[in-house]
Amino acid sequence: MVGKKLNLAGATVFVAFMALLPLVFDSRYLIGVLTVSAIYGIWAVSWDFMSGLTGRENFGHSLFIGVGAYTAGFLNTLLGVSGWWSLPAAMVVAVLFALLIGLPTLRLRGPYFALAMLSGAVIMQRLMLIFWEHTGGEEGIHGIEPLIRSQLVFYYFVLGTLVAVTALLLALARSHWGLVLRAIRGDEATCQAAGLNVTFYKIASLLISAACAGAGGAIYAHYQLQVSPQLFAVVTSITIITMVYVGGMASIYGPVGGAILLVLLTELLRNFGEWRLMIYSCALILILFFLPNGLIAPTWQRIRARLGRRR
Amino acid sequence: MSLLEVEGLDKHFGGLYAVRDVSFSVAKGEIVGILGPNGAGKTTLYNLLTGFIAADRGRITFDGRDLRGLLPHRIARLGISRTFQLCRPFVGMTVLENVIVGALGTAGKNRAGLDSRARALLTSVGLAGKEQLAVDVLSYGDQRRLEIARALAAQPSLLLLDEPFAGLGSSEIADLATLIRRVHAEQGLTVMLIEHKLREFMRLVQRVIVLDFGEVIAHGTPDEVVRHPKVIEAYVGRGNEGFVERNDAA
Repeated sequence: MVGKKLNLAGATVFVAFMALLPLVFDSRYLIGVLTVSAIYGIWAVSWDFMSGLTGRENFGHSLFIGVGAYTAGFLNTLLGVSGWWSLPAAMVVAVLFALLIGLPTLRLRGPYFALAMLSGAVIMQRLMLIFWEHTGGEEGIHGIEPLIRSQLVFYYFVLGTLVAVTALLLALARSHWGLVLRAIRGDEATCQAAGLNVTFYKIASLLISAACAGAGGAIYAHYQLQVSPQLFAVVTSITIITMVYVGGMASIYGPVGGAILLVLLTELLRNFGEWRLMIYSCALILILFFLPNGLIAPTWQRIRARLGRRR
Repeated sequence: MSLLEVEGLDKHFGGLYAVRDVSFSVAKGEIVGILGPNGAGKTTLYNLLTGFIAADRGRITFDGRDLRGLLPHRIARLGISRTFQLCRPFVGMTVLENVIVGALGTAGKNRAGLDSRARALLTSVGLAGKEQLAVDVLSYGDQRRLEIARALAAQPSLLLLDEPFAGLGSSEIADLATLIRRVHAEQGLTVMLIEHKLREFMRLVQRVIVLDFGEVIAHGTPDEVVRHPKVIEAYVGRGNEGFVERNDAA
């Protein structure tokens, strides 16, 4: 398959570019920005796997991110557990929250899942403030130990995680499993009539999505060395959804590009001060209006088609 | 031996009985038609048989198994496949992918030959060469064929068709009827069929169950049923029998 080879080549070029960038421009600031964009990439890809494929919009992805980050924070600061243990623990806790919300709401049709996720995130943010004696309230948890001392090595670890998560979810999305998820987006009743347990597929996909988001949350906690209730904010979820839209819904790899693009855009616009949000929003509106299928995935498909013809 | 046995099935929505005390049986290898005016409860009956809604009372036995309380996907795995009144292809996927999804639920671990089996099915329903097309560009007739191919992909022993001829021209109807006859003959499939296009319907089915206001009002061969006074009454009202005889509803 020519397409497959080109995909692999494209992915290699992209990863090599991301890996070489901090070596060419030796700047702590740049490494920081790239690390954050890779973490957002993990979150966007994991959102796309569940919601992009099945069409069940999750408006509270920040819930999984937040509980992942707080799990890592608590374990590390209170119990002194090493970051390498809090990472899987964060995944487990995020999966538990996914079960709590997914089990009752994903068997229903209608907006219940989206609303439950949204309110779940809002409630957790409130709870972090209400129980401030234990959670640190507005300040959150401080003094989390870094996972890896070297900033560059940590960036490579995050980049590697992003690549692994994307490769795993992409493989799943292109398998029969992904085919079923896309069919659920089309018509649930027909899937049931074909003998497919749609509730199982939806819940299992949510668990996978939550595990990845929770891991991303823990990584973020060990990067910022602190966590705050802001992580649960609706804005976080909306930002992630925007990244998916810009990247190309249901393409899995597109949201990686969307995340990096938007994080870089945010940073580039810092110089514009007050105008930043305005320019950012306008850019987004233009992209979503003129490119309803997103920017990254369709662009790559066009490049691939052109390269394929040239052979 | 009867494949499907329905006894005293009741379903009401509020005060309205959609299906009331319906009993019938379908033998292995039969083609049975379900006839009735709009709102007679035909589609509700299908929804009850496939587990999409739960009956208030009564028993459905399929292949010796009580279907009570089983979810739709479980019933599908037992071998009941259905199509829907409106075509519901999986938009955004190719024709071939649509059929593969139809097979995935019942294929279990045995997923090796899915692709080639789906292609063979598409050829048998006359969609060869259209495997890689997006379903959105298919004509309505082709979407109907795809529905049937997808339902057959689940390898059912009972196929429930809900108005397969709706919205089709007469030549397309004849083609589709031929297709239904062929899968019935070749695979020994048991078929139930809801339809309003009576001409082709009456030639296709071996036995007819007529519903009106949720109840079985007549039952027999196509010839017997169209002469049944209750059927004529249900369709054209009392005192209009002469009208029916002149025009021959069949």
